[in-house]
Amino acid sequence: MLLIKCPWCGERAETEFSCGGEAGITRPANPDSLTDAEWADYLFMRKNPRGAHAELWNHSLGCRRWFGVERDTVTYRIAKTCKLSPGKTD
Amino acid sequence: MTEAPTQRHGLEHFLGDPLQGNATDSIVDIQLQPRLSHLNLRGNAGNPDFVKATEDVLDQKLPTVPNTMSANMHRVYWLGPDEWLILTDSQTLVEELQQSLSPLHGAVNDVSGGQIALRISGTHVRDVLAKGCTLDFHPRVFTSGLCAQSGLAKASVLIALTGDADTFDVVVRRSFADYLVRWLRQAADEYGVRIESA
Repeated sequence: MLLIKCPWCGERAETEFSCGGEAGITRPANPDSLTDAEWADYLFMRKNPRGAHAELWNHSLGCRRWFGVERDTVTYRIAKTCKLSPGKTD
Repeated sequence: MTEAPTQRHGLEHFLGDPLQGNATDSIVDIQLQPRLSHLNLRGNAGNPDFVKATEDVLDQKLPTVPNTMSANMHRVYWLGPDEWLILTDSQTLVEELQQSLSPLHGAVNDVSGGQIALRISGTHVRDVLAKGCTLDFHPRVFTSGLCAQSGLAKASVLIALTGDADTFDVVVRRSFADYLVRWLRQAADEYGVRIESA
């Protein structure tokens, strides 16, 4: 069982968390101006790297906050976890 | 003849169970606390006005350190950086808080219908909880004044240690309460278990 460090609650068992996929995906400012291919790329296309991967995780059984995780997809080693918006509480 | 209205909490069938196991000092007591009001409080802990408005009504500290609680007149648990749970006997606290927070950005909701508090005590209470939860229940780690949300036998719960080292409070959704009490009864069976209502 992995111990994952929630930025608020501290280290907890991985069963308390759920993975939300790749981090850093920004919703396009003006979806109407996109082609179907560009919109599909935003909606569906994700990197699938072998190695370091920036992900979003949710502490679903704990404080229910989203946070950032840098995880290696080969070794499962978690390099770091962080709050998504430093200085803000939500 | 008029009959007084009765309040039901849905766990009556556990009461009056014959004592399971041997009646020894090691028995685990499960006390249902169905009459408490549960209030969910949301607001910005970084805003001194919000903290003051809340603490003025509660007359006790709002715990802003993760995984901590404050217990005095009411029991206030940290749920998240902007979320707290308040357990209280007071019927008027929800209106008082709503009034005090009305000029500010915040919210208080009565969630009493959705969840129920159990108080579990006994010398083996940490062993019982550890059977179904990944938290570290060692007395050196889970000390008085701490609370944590986690899974207990796959039910999502809030677990807190209020005062005494062998008395834990567990808050669980009402829809999981029957299952969880059954699980606790079985998990505590080897030490002896007694179920009562407050």
